[in-house]
Amino acid sequence: MFLHYLKVAFRNIRKQKMYAAINVGGFAIGIAACLLIALFIQHETSYDSANPNRHHIFRLVGEAKQNGQVHSGIAFPAPMSKAILNDFPEVEKAGRIMSNSLFGAANNQVRRPDQQNNTYEQGFAFADTSTLEILDIKMIYGSRTEALKQPFSVILNKSMADKYFPNQNPVGQRLIFNDNPRLPIIVGGVMEDFPTNSHLQYRGFISLAGVSFWDNEQSQWTASNYDIYLQLKPNTNIASFEKKMTDDVVDKYMVPAMVAGGQKNAKESFKDTRIYLQPLSDIHLYSYNIEQDDTRHGDIRFVYLFAAIAAFILLLACINFLNLSTARSANRAKEVGVRKVMGGSRNNLINQFLSESLLYSFLSFLTGTAIAVLALPLFNKVSGLYLSMPWKEWWLIPALIGGALVIGLLAGIYPAFYLSYFKPINTLKGNLSLGSKNGRLRSSLVVFQFSISVVLLIGTAVIYKQMQYILNSKIGFDKDQVLMIEGADALKEQTTSFKNEVLNLPVVKNVSVSDFLPVNDTKRNGNTFWEEGKQQDDGFALQHWVVDENYIPTLGMKLIAGRNFSKDFHTDSSTAVVNKALADKLGIKDPIGKIITNGGEHLRIIGVVDNFYFESMKQQVTPLCMVLGNSNSIVSIKIKGADMKTALATIEAKWKAFLPNQPMRYTFLDERYAAMYIDVQRMQYIFTGFSILAVVVACLGLFALAAFMAEQRTKEIGIRKVLGASVAGVFTLLTKNFLKLVGLSLIISIPVGWWLMNQWLQDFSYRISLNWKIFAFASLLMMTIALFTICFQAIKAAIANPVKSLRTE
Amino acid sequence: MIKITDLEKYYRTEEVETIALNKLSIEVKEGEFVAVMGPSGCGKSTLLNILGLLDDPDGGSFVFNGIEVAGFNERKRADLRKKNIGFVFQSFNLIDELTVFENVELPLIYNNVKAADRKKRVEEVLDNLKIMHRRNHYPQQLSGGQQQRVAVARAVVNNPKLILADEPTGNLDSSNGNEVMQLLTELNEKGTTIVMVTHSEHDARYSHRIIRMLDGHSVTENILI
Ligand SMILES: Nc1ncnc2c1ncn2[C@@H]1O[C@H](COP(=O)(O)OP(=O)(O)O)[C@@H](O)[C@H]1O
Ligand SMILES: [Mg+2]
Repeated sequence: MFLHYLKVAFRNIRKQKMYAAINVGGFAIGIAACLLIALFIQHETSYDSANPNRHHIFRLVGEAKQNGQVHSGIAFPAPMSKAILNDFPEVEKAGRIMSNSLFGAANNQVRRPDQQNNTYEQGFAFADTSTLEILDIKMIYGSRTEALKQPFSVILNKSMADKYFPNQNPVGQRLIFNDNPRLPIIVGGVMEDFPTNSHLQYRGFISLAGVSFWDNEQSQWTASNYDIYLQLKPNTNIASFEKKMTDDVVDKYMVPAMVAGGQKNAKESFKDTRIYLQPLSDIHLYSYNIEQDDTRHGDIRFVYLFAAIAAFILLLACINFLNLSTARSANRAKEVGVRKVMGGSRNNLINQFLSESLLYSFLSFLTGTAIAVLALPLFNKVSGLYLSMPWKEWWLIPALIGGALVIGLLAGIYPAFYLSYFKPINTLKGNLSLGSKNGRLRSSLVVFQFSISVVLLIGTAVIYKQMQYILNSKIGFDKDQVLMIEGADALKEQTTSFKNEVLNLPVVKNVSVSDFLPVNDTKRNGNTFWEEGKQQDDGFALQHWVVDENYIPTLGMKLIAGRNFSKDFHTDSSTAVVNKALADKLGIKDPIGKIITNGGEHLRIIGVVDNFYFESMKQQVTPLCMVLGNSNSIVSIKIKGADMKTALATIEAKWKAFLPNQPMRYTFLDERYAAMYIDVQRMQYIFTGFSILAVVVACLGLFALAAFMAEQRTKEIGIRKVLGASVAGVFTLLTKNFLKLVGLSLIISIPVGWWLMNQWLQDFSYRISLNWKIFAFASLLMMTIALFTICFQAIKAAIANPVKSLRTE
Repeated sequence: MIKITDLEKYYRTEEVETIALNKLSIEVKEGEFVAVMGPSGCGKSTLLNILGLLDDPDGGSFVFNGIEVAGFNERKRADLRKKNIGFVFQSFNLIDELTVFENVELPLIYNNVKAADRKKRVEEVLDNLKIMHRRNHYPQQLSGGQQQRVAVARAVVNNPKLILADEPTGNLDSSNGNEVMQLLTELNEKGTTIVMVTHSEHDARYSHRIIRMLDGHSVTENILI
């Protein structure tokens, strides 16, 4: 029986090629989208799942309220992990990671003692031996407990070890970090590379043994630079432990330390502080609102969003199947009647139609899997991930088959029941226009499909607009034509002469030396300042940037009051140029001449620049001051003219003359700026991709539906034309109803899209406003696409010779 | 074999109620060949549908093979139908996606006959009706006469006790029509009861008895043999 069903289904597919292609094509697109998203979700949820103790491992997160806003962070004082370990028997192990680039973590110039050239290596962190144990670091050479025992020892990951010490055990070998031969680093061990689904991606761990970044740093409770990982004993009550630990850390250590430092209401300032335990497996997906967490992490909200979008696309394909099946019911009605007369029961027919939808589903899964495999490289590129089809996993094939069964049944169940319901006495007479019977359901589903598509189109348009706004809006500095040379601290005392020589190059407009730049991964320095004469308690957070006198012109910032630093003023060493946000904060109309202080430093304001974005546009511009000084690892060069290639070559030649052994490492300010919004960019690409898919699937359905409607009305159209209807009249007749449906979907989807995208924009402190143009654009686009889709069929029917169509009846 | 008494059937649409069968009583004996005639719209097809258990009467009694079947539900009717009754329609009603062989095989599939037995039986019938050489053709590739021959083959493949034919020659020219009538006569001679609706006096003469209907009523009966 089943074979009989399959045979008939195959013949139907062969007979109705367009219909079959649309069903399979739509499904395949939906399935490909779902597969890719499923891979993405599987990857995102697999983070840190290899650690055997993962259920007992936590990262500490501190939460504090400031001005009613909750801030979360993961940096804690140096002595804290040991204190917690000592104070609480529940804690089995406690370990720290220090990745602050200010202290030699993160990035280093590396070479073997016998090498001349340095290589810039990223991904170092300081770590305790206990951290290695908690994180279950797997060693290739050396022992986990011994490798970091020695001060100045390092564990390299396999790829870095292979780079410097190919084909050998490098334990005991030396490396020179940052051209400091007096302080060689000893390789203590080699670890496996972190898998891509680990929330940590460090390439090297440097020992914390004997480290003290300044006097008494290791016992200081008022500076927070360490991430802390704990391994707790099984069966610890997490909630009560969090409470105990917070009270202990605050009352026993933090408050006394602050009181000793002169803070008066220290206890009060910790009122809303809470330290909580973040489970290891949550770190990747649930850290999106933790500030200054430099581990690369995902976002559970995106996981949900993409899952929803993929499911919607698949749903759209299911709707196509359902609509086309019921629309074509007239074509199948006779068959149903005959089969029933021949003894087929309703169950027989339901089974037959389900077999048919299952066949479609399986064909679609084959095609969809193929599409997914082909699209995977593109998807990886856009999403920044390294996903691959898990061919070797035992569950893949069963999962695909299971998916095909579920989709086949889901899409087929309604048509099966609907078609099998026909009574033979009605259908065998022929001439029954069953197709129009459930027109209302079909129309609702079309409206639903187009509503989803339009919401996605609106989303795409809004994200695109916001991205354009980010890239092109007045950001307070001129990011174009600026070359950033990093690692310039290697120039040491030659910095000034390098700067001057570059400045004299004809291709160069200006040069500035400063590590503080308005893009990510450059230096920041937060301080508490207040206006001289006022109380410390009136203080505010202030970015304190060290720059040179060329900084403001090189970056094209706009002075709105006062003057820039000048070589001619010897007193400029204790002056500051501030941003407008600071002037606003002080609440003074003319802040020139006013003095701000942090207790030690007293700075007289000599100029105000217009606000410039130095953090993501997701945050408000905060107060900032610039002071003259030495901060020499990044040289920013503003290029004259458009010939970047020549300029680069000349500058590189100059660099080589100064530092023959260290390749010039450079980026461009505008690229760095764009990179800050890579997540928005990705979101834009993914949204664009998905909305194209949704529109394609919906239009495939519309196309087929229009074809069947035109086919069904062939006779009617023939009669109308014989009676004098014009081509235009027939065209209108055939397109009017579909366009009405699309119009209805616009009415539904515009408010939804407006609401959703308004939510999304709330993430940005600086954002576009949603105006009617975006919605008009999306509407017009959808209408045009829909019209194109149906107009082919409508024109075909409208210009057909009526004599032919009437004769066939 | 068939005994209907005071059979009634109404069709209700929103505005009007049509009485398709109005207290109709007829009897058909096993082995008979009965023709039903009457003007268009007098209820012949309705009668055939009820006799064929495709439809349920609204009143009266219908005894089939000694069992009262009026009021049977769809499932029971279908069960009785697929074991006992074969149909031949004016418009052939073959399934376009199936070959001649597969069309004829269909009732056997639904009766859960094993594949090997099915093949034997279908070939036997196709042989008998001299359409064996067309077994792998699709309906569209056949002439009207050939299609109706396949339809007859399909109706008899299950060895039904009763064959119901609704204007079986209505779409055929006279020579093809005569061939089909010949087939029905042969089947009847082998013992199959036949009830046939026809407009043609010529065709009606192949039967034993003609029932004439008017407005859902049986008006006269001509006994031919
Ligand atoms: N499905 C139906 N709905 C409404 N009226 C019907 C239906 N089928 C038949 N009729 C009506 O019932 C009467 C008998 O029809 P039918 O049995 O088809 O006549 P015949 O086959 O003798 O031409 C006619 O008046 C016809 O209009
Ligand atoms: Mg009739």
